[in-house]
Amino acid sequence: MAELATSQHDELASAESRSWHLHHRRKITLWGIAFVLPTIIFFAVFKYGPMLWAIELSFHSYDMISAPRYVGLDNYRALIADPIFRSTLFNTLIYISCTTTLLTVIGLMLALAINTGIPGARHCMTAMFLSNLMPVIAVCLVWRILLHPYGVVNQLLQHVGFGRIDWLTSEWTAMPSIIMVTVWRFAPYFMVVFLAALLALPDDYYEAAEIDGAGPIRRFFHITLPLLMPTIFFVVVVSALLCARVFLYPYLITGGGPGNATRVLSMLIYETGFSYLKMGQAAAISVVLFAIMLVFTSLQITLFTRSERIYF
Amino acid sequence: MAVIDETDWTPPPPSLRRYLPTLRRLIGLLLLIVLTAMFLLPIVWMLMMSFQAGEKMFQLRTEWIPTVWHFENYPNALSRAPFAQYFLNSGIVSVVVMITNVVFCTLAGYGLAKFRFPGSSVLLLLILSTMMLPLEVTLVPTFLVVHKFDWINTYQGIVAPLLIDAFGIFLMRQSMISIPKDFIEAARIDGAGELRILLQIILPQCLPALSVLAIFSFRDSWDQFLWPLTVVSVDELRTFPLGLVQFGEDYGNPPTEQMVIAVLATIPVFLLFAILQRSVNKGFGLSGLK
Repeated sequence: MAELATSQHDELASAESRSWHLHHRRKITLWGIAFVLPTIIFFAVFKYGPMLWAIELSFHSYDMISAPRYVGLDNYRALIADPIFRSTLFNTLIYISCTTTLLTVIGLMLALAINTGIPGARHCMTAMFLSNLMPVIAVCLVWRILLHPYGVVNQLLQHVGFGRIDWLTSEWTAMPSIIMVTVWRFAPYFMVVFLAALLALPDDYYEAAEIDGAGPIRRFFHITLPLLMPTIFFVVVVSALLCARVFLYPYLITGGGPGNATRVLSMLIYETGFSYLKMGQAAAISVVLFAIMLVFTSLQITLFTRSERIYF
Repeated sequence: MAVIDETDWTPPPPSLRRYLPTLRRLIGLLLLIVLTAMFLLPIVWMLMMSFQAGEKMFQLRTEWIPTVWHFENYPNALSRAPFAQYFLNSGIVSVVVMITNVVFCTLAGYGLAKFRFPGSSVLLLLILSTMMLPLEVTLVPTFLVVHKFDWINTYQGIVAPLLIDAFGIFLMRQSMISIPKDFIEAARIDGAGELRILLQIILPQCLPALSVLAIFSFRDSWDQFLWPLTVVSVDELRTFPLGLVQFGEDYGNPPTEQMVIAVLATIPVFLLFAILQRSVNKGFGLSGLK
């Protein structure tokens, strides 16, 4: 059959060429799909599948031993009634907002400091970036001891006249300590993001402003900041997504304590699911955390579809 | 009354004025050094404490440079727990995850950047959206999926959910999107296969992005804690973060030896960064930096 079809095409040279072209195009499209296919399968099995399962599971009671039992909205009702969940949700939101604000401001300030053209600034940047590469577990172990009542941080503060602060064991300083460590870890990363954006800014705006006699501060607020707005928006979204999933910093540095002062949602998911084997309840917490991340992701998608630009 | 006598005013000595920009630069440099120190000192502290005597770690005045260098901390720490095994496990996991990310993110990035097929733009958004589904969120069902595959307490189980990360796909897609289509068309007319076009024409132009992807995917899997904690319960399969936390909790292990393991764990990431640094800087978009 195929041979017959081909021979018929042979009679019409132009049609043959067109059909070859079409065939060729279709083959290329198939290659494109083939390149993406492994990723589609992977994300279906390990991202979207589990998420849908989590939503389903959140309406069930499941302990991995007996079969799941439908309980309707009971898991969510239990969460709302649970003071530990409420304070954990509150902690997570506080952590996200404070860390994101600090990371954006400090990241930008560091980038501006590097971008002054001071000789050696590039090496300083490389040195700072090391904090972003150090294994998180090493970061947490080191800072846990640095923030010890007799640790290096208090020693340095005593030089400036501060008294001893129980950073990790006092309810008021535990969360700020976790936030500080996170900022130490990620500020150099966002510094690099801002620095790349600063380097890409066109020079002529600045030359024109200088001719008009605008000082460095006016130049920053009237040229740099408006031009950086997309980058700032991007940094806020990425850092919020990063902070929403935080687990290791509070888990290793304070263990969620003192009391529940630094317990965050991901820790609660782990404990509920795997220490108490309440998988349905844990899935309900997952859905809450997912909802928080959905807000920031939709912001990110809006940003992406508007500018078609993704920063690393 | 007060008539300013112009002859009274003496201009500042020219030498001082000439040095003003230099002075400003010096102050800037000093500030930069202080900032850098804030990020670098904890790392230096970790290194120094790994050579320190155990009882000197919690002193009222930290001894930054050990009076006696305890090099024996290193063999001691390694012999107290099977850290060689833990590091090997972490190495296997991280190298596998790095390779799969490099391969599949390149393929998917190319497919999304240079091919149009029905649903390709929706697919792009669906992939971008997986950034809101990190393992921390899908922990319980992902565990159940891996359980269904019967991969609990296996290497496959540790590696499986980490194989491909949306971040890498976007990184690669963005670095490929600006490559002119004519290159690809010309190669096709010359009869080059699609895979050959990707390997010989596209890939050499995105090595900087590939370096960024390599170092970030290595670091992230090297750092993985929550997932191995969930999926591994036997000692032989523990990765080093699990081993190190256990080591800290076990009674009688000096904290200086925790620092030894922390230092050893830092070396591979720093080494990879040192090897790829030039390319990574380009990938970050910092090649214009003086």
